[in-house]
Amino acid sequence: MRQRQYNRLRSLLKDPRHHCILFANEFQEYSYCPREKGEPQDKWQTRCVYHAAVWYHDHLAGLKPVVMITEDQNAVAEYSSLNCGVYVLCTQEYLQTFWPELQAALELYCSIAQSLQEKGSEGTEREYTEHLPAEVLEAGIKSGRYIQGTLNVNKHRAQHEAFVRFEGSSNKSSELNSDVLVCGGKNRNRAVHGDMVAVELLPKGEWRGRTTALTEGQGEEKGDETQSQPMATGRVVGILQRNWRDYVVTFPPKEETQSQSRNSQRILATPWDQRIPKIRISTQQADKLQDHRVIVRLDSWDSTSLYPNGHSVRVLGRAGELETEVQTILIENCIHVPPFSEAQLGEMPVSSPESPWSVDPAEVITRRDLRQTHLVFSVDPRGCEDVDDTLSIRSLPPGPRGERLELGVHIADVTHFVKEGSLTDLEARARATTYYLADRRYDMLPAVLSADLCSLLGGVDRYAMSVMWDLDAQTLAVNTVWYGRTLIQSSYQLYYELAQALLNGEEAEVPELAQLPPGERDAKLAQLTQALETLTHVARQLRAQRDKGGALELEGVEVRAQLDEDRNITALVPRQPLEVHETVAECMIYANHWVARKIQESFPQQALLRHHPPPRQEFFNQLQDSARARGFTIDTRSNKALADSLDRAVDPRDPLVNRLLRVMATMAMSNALYFSTGACPVDQYYHYGLALDRYTHFTSPIRRYADMIVHRLLTAAIAMEKGAGPAKALASNKELEEVAQQINNKNRAAQHAQKVSTELFQCLYFRDKDPETDERCVADAVIYTIRANGMLVFIPQYGLKGAVYLKNREGQVVSERQDGGCDWQTGSLQRYLDHITTTTAVGTSTFNLFQHITVRISVEPSRCHSDTIRLEVVSNRPHQAPETQVQTSQPQGARGRSQLVQEVVRQAEEASQQAEEKRGRASKLSTEEREFRQSKCPNLYSLLEEVRELALLDLAACGAGGGGLGAAAQACATSA
Amino acid sequence: MAGLELLSDQGYRLDGRKAAELRKVQARMGVFAQADGSAYIEQGNTKALAVVYGPHEVRGSRSKTLHDRAVINCQYSMATFSTAERKRRPHGDRKSTEMSLHLKQTFEAAVLTNLYPRSQIDIYVKILQSDGGNYSACVNAATLAVVDAGIPMRDYVCACTAGFVDETPLADLCHAEESGGGTSLALALLPRGGHIALLQMDARLHQDHLETLMEAAMTACKGVSKVLDEVVRQHLQEVSALTGE
Repeated sequence: MRQRQYNRLRSLLKDPRHHCILFANEFQEYSYCPREKGEPQDKWQTRCVYHAAVWYHDHLAGLKPVVMITEDQNAVAEYSSLNCGVYVLCTQEYLQTFWPELQAALELYCSIAQSLQEKGSEGTEREYTEHLPAEVLEAGIKSGRYIQGTLNVNKHRAQHEAFVRFEGSSNKSSELNSDVLVCGGKNRNRAVHGDMVAVELLPKGEWRGRTTALTEGQGEEKGDETQSQPMATGRVVGILQRNWRDYVVTFPPKEETQSQSRNSQRILATPWDQRIPKIRISTQQADKLQDHRVIVRLDSWDSTSLYPNGHSVRVLGRAGELETEVQTILIENCIHVPPFSEAQLGEMPVSSPESPWSVDPAEVITRRDLRQTHLVFSVDPRGCEDVDDTLSIRSLPPGPRGERLELGVHIADVTHFVKEGSLTDLEARARATTYYLADRRYDMLPAVLSADLCSLLGGVDRYAMSVMWDLDAQTLAVNTVWYGRTLIQSSYQLYYELAQALLNGEEAEVPELAQLPPGERDAKLAQLTQALETLTHVARQLRAQRDKGGALELEGVEVRAQLDEDRNITALVPRQPLEVHETVAECMIYANHWVARKIQESFPQQALLRHHPPPRQEFFNQLQDSARARGFTIDTRSNKALADSLDRAVDPRDPLVNRLLRVMATMAMSNALYFSTGACPVDQYYHYGLALDRYTHFTSPIRRYADMIVHRLLTAAIAMEKGAGPAKALASNKELEEVAQQINNKNRAAQHAQKVSTELFQCLYFRDKDPETDERCVADAVIYTIRANGMLVFIPQYGLKGAVYLKNREGQVVSERQDGGCDWQTGSLQRYLDHITTTTAVGTSTFNLFQHITVRISVEPSRCHSDTIRLEVVSNRPHQAPETQVQTSQPQGARGRSQLVQEVVRQAEEASQQAEEKRGRASKLSTEEREFRQSKCPNLYSLLEEVRELALLDLAACGAGGGGLGAAAQACATSA
Repeated sequence: MAGLELLSDQGYRLDGRKAAELRKVQARMGVFAQADGSAYIEQGNTKALAVVYGPHEVRGSRSKTLHDRAVINCQYSMATFSTAERKRRPHGDRKSTEMSLHLKQTFEAAVLTNLYPRSQIDIYVKILQSDGGNYSACVNAATLAVVDAGIPMRDYVCACTAGFVDETPLADLCHAEESGGGTSLALALLPRGGHIALLQMDARLHQDHLETLMEAAMTACKGVSKVLDEVVRQHLQEVSALTGE
């Protein structure tokens, strides 16, 4: 615990953004004071601090007041009378005197003080067994008696089930190769989700199985019929490391608070995350805060207390409001995205309409100038403002072995503007990535960089990092590769549709050429088209080479659309996937691959690469079983076999089958991860999805910190080649591995936040609709997994995934009427491998895997947690779409989804506008604010990229209804 | 992270020194009248006394006599009160024997022994208080004593220890740093020519770091040599003033 606080202090000091300074007063000649005889330690220390403060005051020649803060009332009394120019205050007094307008800080202080004060007045009745001391745990883990691992609470049965995923090689009992189950609160012994714990196994007789049935809410399980085979079960004997973060809780309504608070002002608040137990908070503001969401920090959990103690930190707002909910999502995923500070923005170069930024002549000399020699262009989505990557291609004079081509990939030179260790760099490192939520985004870098100076816009000079290959025109064998810093000017800022139109030889209007006379225009157009054609040709060959190696390259209309749909951005996506997408992506993969090779060669111990470990075969079981139900076999022995067999598994009558199989394949995939080369054996560098032996991220430094690291590594590698030592020592393997882990974690958090925010919007969309009457709430769904008391379905129209129960709490099951409709009847349920049947007095109804059924969507409101979507079977036949709406057509579905987000945003906007008007403010402000907020119109390319990226990262999210294996492949493909 | 934090984030060591900083070195020569040469040195809290007899005829067994150079005889001992726990045996244990041998090797490399064939030089060193860097304190004290005895040497022999913590070399380790379990390198250097008289290292160290560690130890030794040089000059001035020359 003490170590933890010490580390926290250290990290505060380390980060210059916090403006904390440590003064080693004992090591300073004039501020040192020796301990007097018989002086108690704490008195001596207080005296030392005071002495140091006095010295500092004198050092500043009394120009600045110096304040010393202590909680020791005696010290305040003793020293404040001395009058040496130093104010000695206690914290509360300090806040009141110097920061009277900062009410929140004072409240925070009060809440901490109160929780500390009340700590002593606990009951003495023991609720839990004591934890074992650290030495005993350590010895026990070494001897194999206890198992060390991270506690994972089952979200759906938070009270009862938790698993410990053990780590490390200390595990001696080798028969144990799965997680350890921890049943019930007593056995969990005050461990909270995420804590590192030591577990002792119970005798085999007490082992239990995990529950396989779907559960509604927190319903108590009865009977053991739904449990699987007994598995290793244990109890927590000690906690090695707490992993507490900030939690968002909801205060209970008034009636509950009165009944539960017998003494003082203690309130049991319910965390938003279902896996976290209720938290006891001492506060005076219970009445004011009811139905608000509040950030809470945990303080302690003694064995005498049923619940952990905490204190409130900050109030987020009223539960149910869009802003509050979005903030909740951010906090719960540990994402901190404050606006960029003055100091950070101060580091940015100036670029305004009055004094536009221009290239520095000194820089021009050091860079290779491509402005005159190369035709550079970018292909991005329409309206894109942060252009990270541009391309160029040209023929070179023929060499000894024949025709030669020069392919160039030019990436925004972000690290030129963001120096390592600068405040902006630290902020970017902390964020690690740009965050995309359903309706907004939070940039990693300030807008002046991401949208202007680093963005490779058309017609302006920009700095770039370039990779240029000298290729054989026929075989595409690489003759030489050139890496370096360049100066470019992008001639054309194309968008995908336009580029494709040019390739297809269709009539297209290139905005850059609109002003030119017709003759010149045609010549230039021909030149551009020629370049695009060569590029496409090269990309095709490159991909063919990779396919031979077994890349999981899965193209197909439905995959692409499905993936987009899943991510809520379908409306922005072109109806047809264009080949030019693939072309650009392939060039980016190629650049990433070659940069990875370069930095790995130069820094074998400390290069940042990205690998994708092969999935574990047992994860494919579900996919194989499901495929078998439809008569397909899936070969999972290698990535190539998998890709081929998935391509074959197409049901001509129902394209959804293939999509769902791809979803399952994606769920079986492990995550692609960043790592430092020194931390991994060479044979684990392999990228399974892309079938490349080395891979990294180089091409999107504007929105990924990993790319910035790679840029710096590449710069250092180039400098090393020229004979100059690196200007600054590179991060060691250990540091780099730490950063890589941090980026991986942040990516996971970003992706999870995005998923949750999507769900939030789905719920907000359906919240105001009456499920009984509104026909939008009835939709077609496909069954993709069978469970003991229900099944999991996917709704293509909304990209929703959810559980459908066939058995309710009263024990009734769904039965089919003559007309196809369904209602609840008393009966029994039988589960088979590929179908599930319900038997009632009326008859038997069967639900097969991949069968289309009709479901009704409604929202289950929840006060403390996020709302959830609830699905009910309406009929076990496909949904008959009323009126004109064409069923399951992709564009339609797509439109539905984007409308969903837009509508919800609009509603929230209207609500906030109304609120503003009420306050007598001009309603204009709100719209203006919206305009300047970064959330408006997230640019498609980055969204798309991010989405594909994410598809590989989290298994659960991929299941969220869509990103198929195609998504995985795309993630690899376009994670450029 | 276990144990003490030997180097804080601000770059301070336990006793407030920076990584490359030495402890305060104070020394005096000619502390005893009876001996041919003597010196007393304090390096921080480590205090050592050195006495030199000779060159004189080889005593004891004549068989040790070398016909072309002098024999150097070293004896290292620690006062019983020198450590936190009282020592049972001031000298003659394995550690002392080893240390004696090291000292012998060091001075055989530095003293111009071929000027005194068939004779013997005795160097006795005693640690009065031990706080890390015993060997280096002994070497430095003995150097001064040899100078005091007027025995010609190639150069001062200066010794210093260096350790390695958090990728940073630390110069002149104190006892707490030495017992931290990390690497400790003891170096005896003839600073002018950069010749190494003795190099000893315990514990393991990655090869990549050896060079930086050596570099740090050498810099520290050169620092020590400056101090020793000053002490010798000071002593000479005092002596010449006394003798009235």
